[in-house]
Amino acid sequence: MRTREVGISLLLVVLAVVAQTAVFGDGRIDPLGASPAIVLVVVLACARYIDPEPALLLGFTAGMLLDLLGGAPLGLWAMAYTVSVYIALRFRSRADDGPVIVGLGVVLLTLIAHSLFVIIGTLFGERFFTSTAVIKDTVLPAFYNLAVAAVVFPIVSRLIGRRRQLGWTT
Amino acid sequence: MQSFRRFDRTTSLMIGLLVISFLLATFDVRSAGGGIGTTMREGVQTLFSPLQEVTSAATRPAVGFIDALSDIAALREENDSLRLENEELKTEIEQFTSIQADLEHLMEINDLEAPDDLPTVTARIVSSGTSTFDLVRFIDKGSNDGISLGDAVIDQRGLIGRVDEVFRNSARVRLIFDPNVTISVQDEVTSQMGLLTGDNDTLILRVFNAEEPVREGNVIVTAGSRFPPGIVVGTVKETAADDAGFGLDTEVMAAINPTRLDYVKVIVGYSPLDAEDEERAEPEEPVADEPADEEPSEDSSDGEGNADTTIEEAR
Repeated sequence: MRTREVGISLLLVVLAVVAQTAVFGDGRIDPLGASPAIVLVVVLACARYIDPEPALLLGFTAGMLLDLLGGAPLGLWAMAYTVSVYIALRFRSRADDGPVIVGLGVVLLTLIAHSLFVIIGTLFGERFFTSTAVIKDTVLPAFYNLAVAAVVFPIVSRLIGRRRQLGWTT
Repeated sequence: MQSFRRFDRTTSLMIGLLVISFLLATFDVRSAGGGIGTTMREGVQTLFSPLQEVTSAATRPAVGFIDALSDIAALREENDSLRLENEELKTEIEQFTSIQADLEHLMEINDLEAPDDLPTVTARIVSSGTSTFDLVRFIDKGSNDGISLGDAVIDQRGLIGRVDEVFRNSARVRLIFDPNVTISVQDEVTSQMGLLTGDNDTLILRVFNAEEPVREGNVIVTAGSRFPPGIVVGTVKETAADDAGFGLDTEVMAAINPTRLDYVKVIVGYSPLDAEDEERAEPEEPVADEPADEEPSEDSSDGEGNADTTIEEAR
């Protein structure tokens, strides 16, 4: 267990959560009515460098913080982020293939996380499907995250990145 | 073999976390906003509030600037339409002055209280929800300041929403745009009662057994019940009539702008229970026209447009 990396990752997640709720989000910086999911970008960036189990726990914790600071039932974002991080871990060795693959991964994983949130939320009685805004709220953050990833990934790499990328088994 | 073992552990952990999340969501929904969920929310909110306040205050000018930039096209369009509207309004001001005098006289006669006369607590919005799916705002005042569950939240433009979670030094406000929010309202011009439901970006007005059309520009106000009566909610966007006899649906443009919320007022002196007590104590008071105030249930819509204001708090 690399405590330093996990500690820094947790700190980055907390900072991202504060930024997400105080700077971005509905009614703040939300161009075209949607905002980037910067917490997810930070979690995905950190998941490249820390061991699989701490990475999963980091995703779960980040999702849980969003649940606790948001308006939806507890556990929805936690589920969505846990699954997204799991998929990211499954394919993280592909991150070596370059920024295009990383960008594509961020877009797809954001789409997956938001779609899961909407689907699971609907099962728990949330009324996400009452208007077409749900499509905008699901798709736009994925592309905003692409821009955020261009900033966040190099920072995380500098803070906790190692020369040797971790594979699935390391 | 090592690889298989690690894969297995990670997958097992993920399944375990999903089960925990699922159970938490189930308990949270079942406890309808109470229980361990509220305790955990209060703890995290207490920890994050100072950070959010500092960040919000520090970035407010930048956020406002970026927000204005992204809205510049819409603002230009809005400016043009406001100019036109201003000209029209100038010509109508004289008529309204006499109507307002009549209204004030009527209010004196009926001993009605305007929402402004109710005690309020001024609060500042410190954070929004964690995504655009969350139509909530967090304010920097809580139960220590007298705020309680269900209090109406307004600004100078009109109704913003309702307190749906209270912590010691902060509270969560669910906006009127939330599809889970339904408000009993009244068309100020025709006096017809209806239900207003949030629809993310807009509001949908439903009037059952509408006897006359609801016209574009008519002001929609709260009809009492869980919110104090007479708070402006919005204006009708498009004229609609009940042609088929099944009631009418139309869009309402909210009076508030959710992206421009900063300072708000929480009406702390009103609750449906108080209203009930007043009715019981003073049955001769002219409250007979009020919509179904006697039953502040979760959702007591009777299908006749006389439903209580409801906010589903099953979260």
